[in-house]
Amino acid sequence: MNISVSGPKILFEWGSFHITETVVNGWIIMAVIVLLCIWLTHGLKLRNPSKKQIVAEKLVMMATNMVRDTMGEKYIGFAPYIGTLFAFSVLGSLSSLLGMRPMTGDLNTTLGWALVTFVLVQGNNIRINGLGGWLKSFVQPVAVMLPMNIIGEIANPISMAFRHFGNIASGIVISTLIYSALGALSSTILSFIPVEFINSIPILQVGLPAMLSIYFDLFTGFLQAYIFCMLTMSFVSGVE
Amino acid sequence: MDKALQFVSIPPDLWTLIFTWANLLILFLLVKKLLFKPIMNIIKQREDEVGKMYEDAQTASDHAKAMETEYTEKLANAKTQAESIVADAVQNAQARADQIVSDSQAQAASMIEGAQARIAREQKAAVEEAKGEICSMAVLMASKVIEKDLDAAAQSALIEKCMDEMGDTL
Amino acid sequence: MERAIILAASAIGAGLAMIAGIGPGIGQGYAAGKGAEAVGRQPEAKGDIMSTMLLGCAVAESTGIYGLVVAMILLFANPLINLL
Repeated sequence: MNISVSGPKILFEWGSFHITETVVNGWIIMAVIVLLCIWLTHGLKLRNPSKKQIVAEKLVMMATNMVRDTMGEKYIGFAPYIGTLFAFSVLGSLSSLLGMRPMTGDLNTTLGWALVTFVLVQGNNIRINGLGGWLKSFVQPVAVMLPMNIIGEIANPISMAFRHFGNIASGIVISTLIYSALGALSSTILSFIPVEFINSIPILQVGLPAMLSIYFDLFTGFLQAYIFCMLTMSFVSGVE
Repeated sequence: MDKALQFVSIPPDLWTLIFTWANLLILFLLVKKLLFKPIMNIIKQREDEVGKMYEDAQTASDHAKAMETEYTEKLANAKTQAESIVADAVQNAQARADQIVSDSQAQAASMIEGAQARIAREQKAAVEEAKGEICSMAVLMASKVIEKDLDAAAQSALIEKCMDEMGDTL
Repeated sequence: MERAIILAASAIGAGLAMIAGIGPGIGQGYAAGKGAEAVGRQPEAKGDIMSTMLLGCAVAESTGIYGLVVAMILLFANPLINLL
């Protein structure tokens, strides 16, 4: 029995340029989100809003209120970014329920997002303290702390990226292991039937992994998306 | 087996990173434009409308209050006016009744007076008549008694005398 | 031969890396216990306690996840094998 857990497949290659499964899945999720946005905001009314309009308003207000509560009124412009990040992350993790490789189970995705957060944090720091103040903040409280401060700043995005990636990737690994274990188990159970075709049907692989993936994908996916957004918000607004 | 990236892609795959950033940026712009802008717009519009409605209600309430005071005033005016009208009418009626009473009293008095005058006149006339009759009767009786013709002058003097005597008794 | 040694050592290393799972286990258990205490003391704040606890647990999980990532690197994307 050969169990292999592979990274995202390369679907298109031209020289050093290549498009991986992650990117294509990302496009699919983007299309879903954009279509959802168009559908939700279709036919908005000022009075007697329809059910989907109430849902859309609720979603927007949730994102806005979350940003307002965590970051304060002056960072309210971050609401669309946080909402986008949350939706992208949740749907990216949940896409594994449909048999796609979860987008967030690729370190490149989460590292990319974490680097965006890093840039936002440093940019906000420069905006508030000026370039001199920003550079000075690395030698606080004493100059000896310079390497520590630099490592501390760089560790944030890496820790965020690995946290999100690790949770989803462990889900992939566990799902793969359970999937192949169930396949082996079902072929053992069916081995008393002498027909090769029937005892190769993996009956236990139907349904059971889906139950487990509800925990590993749904719960973890939501929680990690929430934490990623939360950390982004508190890092950006925590700049003094 | 298909070509694939490593499960834990260290070092990061540059192209995937670039695509991740591009995807995030595009999705951010689209979501902002397609979802947040229209929804925030409509929420703002609704807030404005609610504010306007509140204002309208306030002005309407003020207006209603003003109208109420105006009407109360008007009602009070009407009441006093009605009272004055009634009082005038009562006064007029009283005056008219008084006048009627006084008129009728006067009329009655004049009627009584007239009646008394007439009675007096009639009494006088009756007395005169009675006097005349008595006189003629007396003359007749006297002429019969004395059987003596008197001349007219003496007769009338006698009558006068007789009359005066009678008049005093009458 | 060297390849076999490296593979065996990587497998052992991955197993050792997963010892990191002890820390988050203790930490999250402690957090969950405190959360249960807090809910017992203040049942009306259950939602807030729950979300705060989940956030804290997820952050505390980081170290365990780092261990897991190291284990996965050793198992699936072994960088040491290329050093031969």
